[in-house]
Amino acid sequence: MPSITDVNIAHLHLLLNHVPTVGSVVALGLLLLAFVRRDEPLKRAGLEVLFVIAVLTLPVYISGVGAQQKLADRPELSDTAIRVHQDAALAGFTVAEFAGFVAWIALWQSRRRGRAAGLVPAAALLTVVALLLMTRAANLGGEIRHPEIGTVAAVAGAPPVDTAQFVTSKISAIMVNSPWAWPASETVHFLGLSLSFGVLLAVNLRILGVMRHVPFANVHRLLPWGMLGFGTNLITGMLFFVGQPKQYIDSAPFYWKVVFLMIAGANFLYLTVFRKAWAPRDNALYGEWDASLADKAMAIVSLFSWLATIPQR
Amino acid sequence: MGVLAWLESLPLSVWVHESPSVWAQPTVLTLHTMGMGVLVGACWVLDLRLLGISRNIPLSAFRWVFSTVAVSLSVNVVTGALLFAQRATSLGLAIPFLIKMLLVVASVATLVPLRSLVLRSDPGECEVSGSARVLAIASIVAWSGAITAGRLLAYLVP
Repeated sequence: MPSITDVNIAHLHLLLNHVPTVGSVVALGLLLLAFVRRDEPLKRAGLEVLFVIAVLTLPVYISGVGAQQKLADRPELSDTAIRVHQDAALAGFTVAEFAGFVAWIALWQSRRRGRAAGLVPAAALLTVVALLLMTRAANLGGEIRHPEIGTVAAVAGAPPVDTAQFVTSKISAIMVNSPWAWPASETVHFLGLSLSFGVLLAVNLRILGVMRHVPFANVHRLLPWGMLGFGTNLITGMLFFVGQPKQYIDSAPFYWKVVFLMIAGANFLYLTVFRKAWAPRDNALYGEWDASLADKAMAIVSLFSWLATIPQR
Repeated sequence: MGVLAWLESLPLSVWVHESPSVWAQPTVLTLHTMGMGVLVGACWVLDLRLLGISRNIPLSAFRWVFSTVAVSLSVNVVTGALLFAQRATSLGLAIPFLIKMLLVVASVATLVPLRSLVLRSDPGECEVSGSARVLAIASIVAWSGAITAGRLLAYLVP
């Protein structure tokens, strides 16, 4: 049986790497249009796109590290050029995640206040910064195969530079050498896991018909706590991955973990923008406390996906 | 000491410890982690409610927490017993392990009064007493301590 790790990770990276930059432009366009037209649903759509980009940027970064591991000994590629690109990508990834996080809070808040308030400009600003950083990362990435367009001295065969200067190397050194960094991050990762699990369990169970006399809007109130756990685990999880990429990049459970995280992220967005959870108090939908069969199917798939993110290696 | 050595020598313990099969150590450990997430997560949702998050959800709506706890706690008692038995001689008298057990027992103990509180509350009742809030804080602290002790076991008890 073919394993998920047989996928050509370098090609996957080339396929996915356009999503963050192109997607950010689309999201900024939607937000701008929403601002000009004063169109609240359009603004929400822009925020939703930002969250989706934040989720999809994770496999972009991970497949990039995978490509690096697979192509490391090709003589025609410059290790320095790859590392310069990786550092730039980590910066872009980090800001894109923050943009997605702020966009999510704005989205969640607009359910409670009826409109997305002051956080929308913050999300847009972070996206502009992320776009600049990711465009730079994309250019540096292009230079790996096309050194002739390059501005850095990243030609294959050039004398190697001190790799300790790169941010990824510094993070890795701390994670591997510090006696407490790895255990402490693991502990926080487990606490975050439990928190996001509990919240997602409660909200998905509500969709499945448990607590059926409680309106969706009331359960919606719990979601930020789930997002807190999710965000904590993205940070600690990335510390492990940047710290010891070799440990994960050939592991089939890790690949599946990323796949299930995508589904779990989609579930999170759905629970946030779920139509009934957004019904105003005087609307018939507010009192309609049963979810559709499709929603229930989604809740089951999601609960399974959340559990399936756990297996390690 | 004899008991611990005997536990460790059981065929099942040896299989969990030695077998290269994915169904041995990896599966037992994964199930233990899944059980932890569900068990602690369900308790924390109730604790958050008692501390005032989603305060318009009546307490009686949280009955599901206790059936969820029953299932996940059973999974973790079984998988935890297997994980203990395979390393009984090194874990049995290790202080970090005993601290973890104490914290797990303390956490589960907070569930007993919370369970009768939720089961006895009238439909629609949203008021939370001061002592229930103290229990909620105790539950959050004790579960966090149990998770921390459990994770650090891997480093403190070689």
